[in-house]
Amino acid sequence: MFKKILFATTASPACDHAARVAFDMAGRYSSDLTVLHVLGVPSRGFGQYVTDVRTGEQLVPDEDYVAWVKEEMKTTYAEQLKQCPECTMEAVAGIPHTEILRFARKTDADLLILGGHTKDRENEGYTYRNMAGSTLQSVARSARCPVLVVSRPAASFWGGFSNIVLGTDFSKAAEHAFRFALSAARQLDCRLHLFHALDISGMHAGKMLEQDEIENRLRDSLNTMRRKYVSQMKDFKNYEIDAWEGVPYVEIVKYAREKFADLIVMAHHTGSRDAETSALGSTMEQVVLRATCPVISVNHPDKVSQNA
Amino acid sequence: MPEGTLCNRKMVNEQEFLSALLADKQGKQYYAELNELDVDHKKLVDTLSKTLKSRTKTWLEICAHCGMCADSCFFYLANKKDPEQVPSYKIQSTLGRLVKAPHKADNAFMQYCMDTAWGKCTCCNRCGTYCPFGIDMGVMFSYLRGLLFSQGFVPWELKIGSGMHRIFRAQMDVTPEDWVETCEWMAEESAEEYPGLEIPIDKEGADIMYTVNAREPKHYPQDIAEAAMLFHIAGENWTVPSEGWEETSLAMFAGDWEACKMQVESVYAAMDRLKPKRMVVTECGHAYRATVIEGPYWAGLPSGKTPVESLHYVEWVAEALRTGKLKIDPAKKIKEPVTYQDSCNYIRNAGLRDIPREIMSYIAEDFREMKPCKEHNFCCGGGGGMNGLGRYREQRNIGLKVKRDQILATGAKLVISPCHNCWDAIRDMEEVYRIGIRWSFLKPLLLDMVIVPDHLRAEE
Repeated sequence: MFKKILFATTASPACDHAARVAFDMAGRYSSDLTVLHVLGVPSRGFGQYVTDVRTGEQLVPDEDYVAWVKEEMKTTYAEQLKQCPECTMEAVAGIPHTEILRFARKTDADLLILGGHTKDRENEGYTYRNMAGSTLQSVARSARCPVLVVSRPAASFWGGFSNIVLGTDFSKAAEHAFRFALSAARQLDCRLHLFHALDISGMHAGKMLEQDEIENRLRDSLNTMRRKYVSQMKDFKNYEIDAWEGVPYVEIVKYAREKFADLIVMAHHTGSRDAETSALGSTMEQVVLRATCPVISVNHPDKVSQNA
Repeated sequence: MPEGTLCNRKMVNEQEFLSALLADKQGKQYYAELNELDVDHKKLVDTLSKTLKSRTKTWLEICAHCGMCADSCFFYLANKKDPEQVPSYKIQSTLGRLVKAPHKADNAFMQYCMDTAWGKCTCCNRCGTYCPFGIDMGVMFSYLRGLLFSQGFVPWELKIGSGMHRIFRAQMDVTPEDWVETCEWMAEESAEEYPGLEIPIDKEGADIMYTVNAREPKHYPQDIAEAAMLFHIAGENWTVPSEGWEETSLAMFAGDWEACKMQVESVYAAMDRLKPKRMVVTECGHAYRATVIEGPYWAGLPSGKTPVESLHYVEWVAEALRTGKLKIDPAKKIKEPVTYQDSCNYIRNAGLRDIPREIMSYIAEDFREMKPCKEHNFCCGGGGGMNGLGRYREQRNIGLKVKRDQILATGAKLVISPCHNCWDAIRDMEEVYRIGIRWSFLKPLLLDMVIVPDHLRAEE
């Protein structure tokens, strides 16, 4: 299903769970795996210095240094490399999300794997907040292929799949997410749970809704899911649809837990260009941080039909 | 010892030399060799006799030591009014002495000149505005940098920077292939949101030829995408050249006059080749100064102007807003207090002071001027190459205090800074002093505010 996997790592314990999934998947699906580490962030205007993302040290990443980092990566992942000895190690300097996206394009990856909780508050200074926002945010927004995020330890098991949850807000991007979820469910032979969370978080701000109104909207949501998605599923019958009201990320996490989900599929689109404000409100990021299973973000149609 | 293997009077024309410089961790060997570098007096005298012209001689001669320039210099203010930071002192004790007695210049003196020319002056030219005689120390420091460069007394990063221009015709190792590839990538990224969006490469006879700062393809490709979206929304007929796309000039900061000429000629050649009606330069200050204001003289163009009319990005934005090519959604104007960082290079040194004010009148509801502002505004603190120089990092950080206090006094938490250098300096200032501000180029702000015509929207 995934021929070319790009695993972007901080090469630190923050990405250990993601690493396990990446190597395991590559072994399971005989994928070409590229492991990419963005080793330093440019830090002095036009100067050649970069700030090493792990040590905070200022250095110039010449060929020798890059070669040494690649060796270090091999040591870090020595155990996992036994599973897929063919994998390629890459290390570059640059703004992380830019380099990850550049590599994904260059290698024509059809799955990107990231660790979910890599933002180091201490070293926030060189994450270029205003420009880049969080790496995850920017990568998920622009990547042309599905982005698998592994955040919590319990999420690190990628094995016998039984349940996939699609969280939809009915946007265009969610349409792509649906197609991906459907093809995954077909191929891996698992149950697909189509889910919509009706956002009533405004109630605390005084935007009260009558219970009838809420129930009407939930009914509408179920109908929309039937119209938009079920109509496309043809002979695929192993599904259910649900709509709950609440704060969307909480409802999605609860729903996934209740359904023993092994994977949550969502779109991660946002209209705002200001990563700082949109990061806070991003449902997907909250789900990533809280869910007990991996989350796949799909925003673009490119690699979706190919996978189907 | 005469010349070192890294620190010497040779120009960086080959990749091999450039790689050797880059491999020298933090310039350790380079600066060690600098301590041993001889002065080539014959060459120095020769250069002076060819390049020291009446204006500089007069300026050095007529300085009345009145001290009026002192308070104009942000380094003087930030360093508790240290007399050694008075611009006239700084130039008289370096270039003044060098011109009088070039034969006496030894290694220690040349290093003092270097540390003054790059570590105590950003060539912001503010002092020139306040001198009763109109003596411009910034211009003279640029000249001094040229003399020092020719003798090999130049900070390590700028030796590399000028070498990049010589080898890549760009301040960073971005090849034409990398550049074109990045444009194609960004066009793909943007086309989903804006169907039909293109980044036309090498299109002849376009209305606008757009040129950038190499950091954009290297580290911030989103900037190119944003420019493309805005041109697309405005309905512009535009293009980028596959070669001659780099506007900046670390060679200018380095004082490498020969590389300055090479660099701007690559852009002018693109103009001749593609015959655009106009050129627009990205949101970068020194790039505009180098290619639009000074470049024609470096290239020896008799008109003193670029081959086609050239606009700074803010001029294009103001025009697009004025003529309605770009329309701002009134509900999305910036509501919070916002201030504007005047880049010395296109405000004080190129006279564009009113353009940003016009832009702010369209996009901001609570625009607050810094004090002083416009052509009297202070340098961001990182101009003239200073942002990138490890050797003068401390001095730079002290100098940033002036801008910090100016920004704090406005009460604004958002600083608009359409200049890569100012943007960097303000970012670093936040890192050093943590005053809780945000900073931005114009492009991302505009994209959040403009009305996208229905026919350009993606179908939902």
